[in-house]
Amino acid sequence: MNYLTRRLIHGIMLLIGASILCFLFADFAPGSFFDEIKLNPQISPETVAALRSRYGLDQPMPVRYVRWAKSVFRGEWGYSFAYNAPVRSLLAVRAGNTLLLTGVATFLAWLIAVPWGIWIAAHPGRGIDRLSMGSTSVLLSVPELVLALGLLYLVVRTHALPVGGMVSLRFDQLGRWSKIRDLATHLVIPVTTLVLANLPIILRHVRSSMMEVLKAPFIQAARGHGISKASLLFHYALPAAANPLISLFGFSMGGLLSGSLLVEVVTGWPGLGPLLLEATMSRDLYVVVGVVMSSTLFMILGNLLADAMLLAADPRVRMQ
Amino acid sequence: MKTGKMMTSKTMTNKAKTRAAAMVLVLLHGIIVFGGFIAPGEPASQNRDFPFVPPTRLHFVDAQGHFHLRPFVYQSVSRPEGLYEYEESRDQEYPIHLFVEGPKYKIAGLFLSSIHLFGVEAPAQIFLAGSDNYGRDQFSRILYGGRISLGAGLLATGISLSLGLLLGTISGFYGRWVDESVMRIAELFLVLPWLYLLLAVRAFLPLHISPVQTFFLLIAVIGSVGWARPARLVRGVVLSARTRKYVLASRGFGASDSYVLRRHVLPHTYGVLLTQAALLVPQYVIAEVTLSFLGLGLSEPLPSWGNLLANLQQYNVLVSYWWMFAPAMALVVFSLGYLALADAFHKRLQSVTV
Amino acid sequence: MRRLAWLAALVLVLGSNSLARSSPQPAQSDEELQITDGEVGRYGGSLVVGQAAEPKTLNPVTAADVRSREVIGRMMADLIHINRDSQRTEPALAKSWAASRDGRVFTLKLRRGLRFSDDQPFDADDVVFSFQVYLDEKIHSPQRDLLIVGGKPIAVQKIDSYTVRFTLAQPYAAAERIFDSLAMLPRHLLEKAYQENRFTQVWNINESPAALAGMGPFRLKHYVPGQRVVLERNPYFWKMDQKRQRLPYLDELVFLFVGNEEAQVIRFQAGDTAIMNRVNAENYILLSRDAQNGGYGLFDLGPSLEYNFLLFNLNDAKASRANRPAWFSDLRFRQAVSSAIDREGIVKLVYAGRAVPLWGNVSPSNQLWVNQSLPHPARSLEHARELLKAAGFSWRGDGRLMDGKSQTVEFSIIVSSSNNQRTKIATIIQDDLSKLGMDVHVVPLEFRALLDRVFQTFDYDAAIMGLGGGDADPNPEMNVWLSSGSTHLWHLGETKPATDWEAQLDQLMQQQMVELKYDRRKRLYDQAQQVIAANLPYVFLATPNILVGARKNLANFKPAVLEPNTLWNVEQLYFREGSGATAGAKP
Repeated sequence: MNYLTRRLIHGIMLLIGASILCFLFADFAPGSFFDEIKLNPQISPETVAALRSRYGLDQPMPVRYVRWAKSVFRGEWGYSFAYNAPVRSLLAVRAGNTLLLTGVATFLAWLIAVPWGIWIAAHPGRGIDRLSMGSTSVLLSVPELVLALGLLYLVVRTHALPVGGMVSLRFDQLGRWSKIRDLATHLVIPVTTLVLANLPIILRHVRSSMMEVLKAPFIQAARGHGISKASLLFHYALPAAANPLISLFGFSMGGLLSGSLLVEVVTGWPGLGPLLLEATMSRDLYVVVGVVMSSTLFMILGNLLADAMLLAADPRVRMQ
Repeated sequence: MKTGKMMTSKTMTNKAKTRAAAMVLVLLHGIIVFGGFIAPGEPASQNRDFPFVPPTRLHFVDAQGHFHLRPFVYQSVSRPEGLYEYEESRDQEYPIHLFVEGPKYKIAGLFLSSIHLFGVEAPAQIFLAGSDNYGRDQFSRILYGGRISLGAGLLATGISLSLGLLLGTISGFYGRWVDESVMRIAELFLVLPWLYLLLAVRAFLPLHISPVQTFFLLIAVIGSVGWARPARLVRGVVLSARTRKYVLASRGFGASDSYVLRRHVLPHTYGVLLTQAALLVPQYVIAEVTLSFLGLGLSEPLPSWGNLLANLQQYNVLVSYWWMFAPAMALVVFSLGYLALADAFHKRLQSVTV
Repeated sequence: MRRLAWLAALVLVLGSNSLARSSPQPAQSDEELQITDGEVGRYGGSLVVGQAAEPKTLNPVTAADVRSREVIGRMMADLIHINRDSQRTEPALAKSWAASRDGRVFTLKLRRGLRFSDDQPFDADDVVFSFQVYLDEKIHSPQRDLLIVGGKPIAVQKIDSYTVRFTLAQPYAAAERIFDSLAMLPRHLLEKAYQENRFTQVWNINESPAALAGMGPFRLKHYVPGQRVVLERNPYFWKMDQKRQRLPYLDELVFLFVGNEEAQVIRFQAGDTAIMNRVNAENYILLSRDAQNGGYGLFDLGPSLEYNFLLFNLNDAKASRANRPAWFSDLRFRQAVSSAIDREGIVKLVYAGRAVPLWGNVSPSNQLWVNQSLPHPARSLEHARELLKAAGFSWRGDGRLMDGKSQTVEFSIIVSSSNNQRTKIATIIQDDLSKLGMDVHVVPLEFRALLDRVFQTFDYDAAIMGLGGGDADPNPEMNVWLSSGSTHLWHLGETKPATDWEAQLDQLMQQQMVELKYDRRKRLYDQAQQVIAANLPYVFLATPNILVGARKNLANFKPAVLEPNTLWNVEQLYFREGSGATAGAKP
């Protein structure tokens, strides 16, 4: 357990470091939230200056950092200039939407990739293996955004699915099953994009770690004992190949909040992505810091999860 | 016996594969390096009467049904009723000539020349991959854009790998608190909000440096942010190499740190580095696309694959002008080449260590 | 006792009725409702409008961004309103007004018997309270500066429950127009928060509908973060149609947050939204291709009131990059640039022909104020070269332009990276100027970073920007052209005019502001336009047409050049019979 506590402390230090860096960058970027109203010829510079000081933007960086840190402990995560509301309340709903999207996508990607990867690892060099490797290479070569745009193009052309948004307007009036169906149809495009983008990586990892293990003497021996193929693959080889996959899984979990930002923007999913982009563009400082910090938090939690799982799965780690 | 034979035949094919992938990549890079010669036009020259012309069709059979050995094209004329709609004027054929005189360019960036691989006589034009919003030849832009995109990919990879090698080696070789602190910093870099960093950097750069310099500076930033992963890999290799018996022995004989590093440790990292390089180059080329989508890419009028593809963000371009997807093809072909190379390297690495 | 019970029952029925469906309340005899012209419609339906992003606040006093104002504007009403169609003022909550002879004192008569959307009465106290809030220095309302005339805040005085007097420190030509879009606030809901200094925190986007009321045609129903805000009919709205039916016709108005314009076009085309508010020309053409099947109509309203321009940095050298050459301050240089720019090319390639080239700051669609006699010189590279030669420039062997000190002409143009049109304009100008031998770099910057350079650090050579579009009247332009103005972009923070023509411009603008007669005012503003066009502080480029779209079954749809272009008469909009009540109905 000592090992995990150490990791936990690392995680907290990492969070603090990231928040300081985040503040530094934010300070770096020129322009402030109140610049845009300067363009309005009917607003005087004094008004703008007064607005800046109301939100403490005229204070030096360390003062603002301490203020922000206090508000984190109060559970506010800072205050949004644009929304005039605590950041946490803004983040909560959108983070939920993002998690729904990435959760489904990650689940599907692993669900498909693991059996598929095992299967092709057991039959290396065959047609299906070559086909899988070829197609995943192509997928790896296409930028996520182009993938999303391509899907959008197809859907717009065929009118097969709703484009953009999370639910239809009639959503509140629908029955339970229709609600789920409605949500599912809206999920198709972003989820497909994310699955297509992540599947190749997982698939390749599963395949290569399985192939490694299948070469190992104990598998050859087990094969010699006439253990059935399915049992061989799933009971003997898979646990042995698990370590690198657990790390990757932790990484997948860590990316739940940050992995879909751009796809959300392109496909119009009301998650953290559009919020972050808008906040970045409008210099809504604490919203940006909030989004970045929450995704960092997830990243760290993902790593911790992987550590814990490794600890449970592999006694050798405990020896470290 | 049987397995042994299988192994050798496999490594043979793997060697051949590596060679094939490398050859294809050399060829592709050659095309990009000699892009000025292959491209029929200048990448930035506008032709405001011909925005969004679809790819020019090559004909072999003329209106009378005669077959021509030398392919020819018809002139594109805009249809009066529709905006940005064109048809071929079948009045005259314009045969394609090889080695024609055209706009000046530098062969491989060194010697001035004005000879182009192919071209047609004015007023006809040849847009192999169509034209863009300003009537610029997209085929030429893809070729010239390749220089920038691949240059960016190679530069960023170079930076990431050198930083990764340096820090990874230090971390793995000296261990203890050095290792601990480098790895903590690496973790921080892995969770770093690089997007925001780039926005800040872009906004802060002085204006009087040229767009190309600005762009490569940004790429350099991305490259330097990306050292953490290679550093971790290198560290692992160094760590295992350091504790091998012959290394310990050579230390016992009083070998200096630098000798041990050079002779015994670093050679083990080359395989990892090569594989990483082949993986990172396409990744950074793709990162450049993302950058352009966010408006942080290379600015007009210079082309890069990223800013060419960023045109697709406009809905009307996305659904109306399919040829604007063409740069994606170039991108995919290159990435595939690199991925194949990375695969081959990876396999070799495994067969060596086994 | 029985009577009381009966009353209670009535209240209960009325109350539940209005809460459940917010159905329009019958007109009372003591209500002074406004009768509108326009087709008599039918009740019902839900209008869905796409928005780029969600509103940030519902507080009309603090809202500064366009999207918040768009939503708030539908829930609020003003005293005197600018009719978006005629571009003239018309009575709103004030049924009439009278100005004193010297143009300083305005007496407004309010409509009697009106109620806020929460059934509470509206009277002069609400008006006085509203102005108190707008003018409060601690609240920093973006509208406050508008209410400072001649350096002093407007004085507001209640005469009786339905009469309010406004006193200005000096005559002001556009005095009636400042009332437009100043939302009248419900004192009964906000006074407490105001006295407790919490005013800026109330009515944020998460506010419960019960705590919010206004005089506009709609009131808040509910808000789904990141997705949509739903407004429902204000059953007590103060307008009715010719048949004395209380407006609005629509049951609901939904703002759907769909993202950028591209996403809005997709959603409109898919039938998810009923109105496409300002679409760019390329998407307009794309949409027009299947307008027939799509069941929507598209409208080209002609040029907008905004102007896009190329701005040269003429700020004092000490305040910015030291080695910036003196070219920009040479009028001939600016004229040469103006002459070399292919405005027709911009109109064709950037706006697909749906724009007009500009040579002055007033758009040709501003019929009342445009100076028709401004010259429109055709593009001429020859003329540009002559001007440059006369200004002492020459050309090197390789065609590069050099100034008198043999320095090559090289500068950068900054442009907002999120504005596709302006980036395209920059690309065209870059190519045009390269024909003169100038080496121009286009630098797309993220918008805030661009503003920072233009307003704060002055670290730039040239920029492409756009201004205007708010109102047809010249007065919003004051701060652009006065040398002390806060948007006098080419030379900010001048204490006194740097050039003679700027001094002349100052004088003309000051004079027109206090001139109450249209003819004389127009003459002054014509001269101002001439001075501007002759001295080119901005090189004017083009103004895009206002292009909008709407479902065919949406009646009374009268888009206008003034913002808000499509929803300004939302109370009159209705869905025609037999066409399905909602926007989502596919053809």
